[in-house]
Amino acid sequence: MNARGKVVAGWALVGIPLLYGVVETLVRASRLFSG
Amino acid sequence: MSPLAAPAVLDRQRTVAPPGFNRWLVPPAALAVHLCIGQVYATSVYKNALVSHFGASQTQIGLVFSIAIVMLGLSAAVCGTWVDRSGPRKAMVASATCWVSGFLVGALGIATGQLWLLYLGYGVIGGIGLGIGYISPVSTLIKWFPDRPGLATGMAIMGFGGGALVASPLSTRLLSLYDPGYDSTVTGSVPSGSAVALLFVTFAVVYGLFMSYGAATIRVPAQGWAPDGFDPASVRSRSLVTTASVSARNAVRTPQFWLLWVVLFCNVTAGIGILEQASPMIQDFFRSGGGASAVSVAAAGGFVGLLSMANMAGRFVWSSTSDVIGRKPMYTAYLGVGLVAYFLLATFGQTSTALFVLFAVVILSFYGGGFATAPAYLRDLFGTFQVGAIHGRLLTAWSAAGIAGPLIVNRFLDAQGDPGSLTAAAYRPALLTMVAVLAVGFVANLLVRPVADRFHEPAADGPAAERGTR
Repeated sequence: MNARGKVVAGWALVGIPLLYGVVETLVRASRLFSG
Repeated sequence: MSPLAAPAVLDRQRTVAPPGFNRWLVPPAALAVHLCIGQVYATSVYKNALVSHFGASQTQIGLVFSIAIVMLGLSAAVCGTWVDRSGPRKAMVASATCWVSGFLVGALGIATGQLWLLYLGYGVIGGIGLGIGYISPVSTLIKWFPDRPGLATGMAIMGFGGGALVASPLSTRLLSLYDPGYDSTVTGSVPSGSAVALLFVTFAVVYGLFMSYGAATIRVPAQGWAPDGFDPASVRSRSLVTTASVSARNAVRTPQFWLLWVVLFCNVTAGIGILEQASPMIQDFFRSGGGASAVSVAAAGGFVGLLSMANMAGRFVWSSTSDVIGRKPMYTAYLGVGLVAYFLLATFGQTSTALFVLFAVVILSFYGGGFATAPAYLRDLFGTFQVGAIHGRLLTAWSAAGIAGPLIVNRFLDAQGDPGSLTAAAYRPALLTMVAVLAVGFVANLLVRPVADRFHEPAADGPAAERGTR
């Protein structure tokens, strides 16, 4: 894997779980205005 | 031989980056560690399960979290110099070993019904992993990004806030999987102790893999390396920014270190005051005289989620902003604007939910920003020589604030009445006390001046000593 591929893979490895957490939290936060 | 001695493959010399190494590989390595240790802020997900499993009080189970945070501050302070000397890979492996072992020993404690093993595992051993892991990538990131240290440390420390965002929903889903009788949407439903033990084992495996990736990927720059087009003179020309080296031992003898300690302590105390009480606070602020709150429990949960987002985003956004406007003005904003936001929250917060949320989000974003900007502020004042060790010592302010913040709020609230009957007026004394706390931090930040020359390492010894000890 070249350097650019390693950077993309590295960011994906931490970015995907983080995105999951952000989406789940935003869904929860939306209850502030609908709940 | 040091008790933290490890194979040579983990040594700093073995982690020096080869020519052409892409520095943008370093932040994901740091994030991989911080995302894992950030789980510590998601312990409330299974707190009731542990209370039920052990037949213990909320305080007895809450002590697990408190021990972990105190051990974080202590281990960061005690091990900071070792982390700086040994390099980030060895530190990350030590952190991962402690963090994973903490989960496994904790799982054993839950499975066998021995609470002391949970204290020892998650609290003490895991807490040491937290402290070492928190500071492990900081000085490395600052060296890779001399042009944007705030952005670099902001990215990593954002991961600590993000770790809870990931672990909280993940824990809920895994607990439902391990205990089919548990339904998180049903009020009063509590997962079994064996489900929590399995969750701990799962975390041990997953976090072990993630943190190993971080340790395997992390690299330190070669001596004298600088990013393309970087002009050190552009950094030097700023006020407060030094190119001299101050050792950790000398740093704690300077007034600047203790002023920053007070700044961080005040900023964290004020933030924790809201964080710790967020859910009941928003309900109490909008409680009518009859006792019913206009804000539902579900909506209050949404408010807590929004604060978590503000905390995480503030770490990245404000820390990056400090690269542009400077560290001292940034903290002036955290404490000055934060002070005004706190005052407005105390006096006008009850007039509108939107206003209440706005003020709280601003305060929490500054809370996160204060954490993330601290390493870059230390770099500016003391140089890069032992910035990791100095940062570790500074984090004792976090431990102290973790005790002071909740104590201030809870003492005032206890004197105002019973939970469930409080209104906005009951919070006013505590919130106005936080305004005073922020004012103290504001003044402390204004008093920060460049470090006196007598604390600097001799010019001939500075870089040489750095090479010799790292």
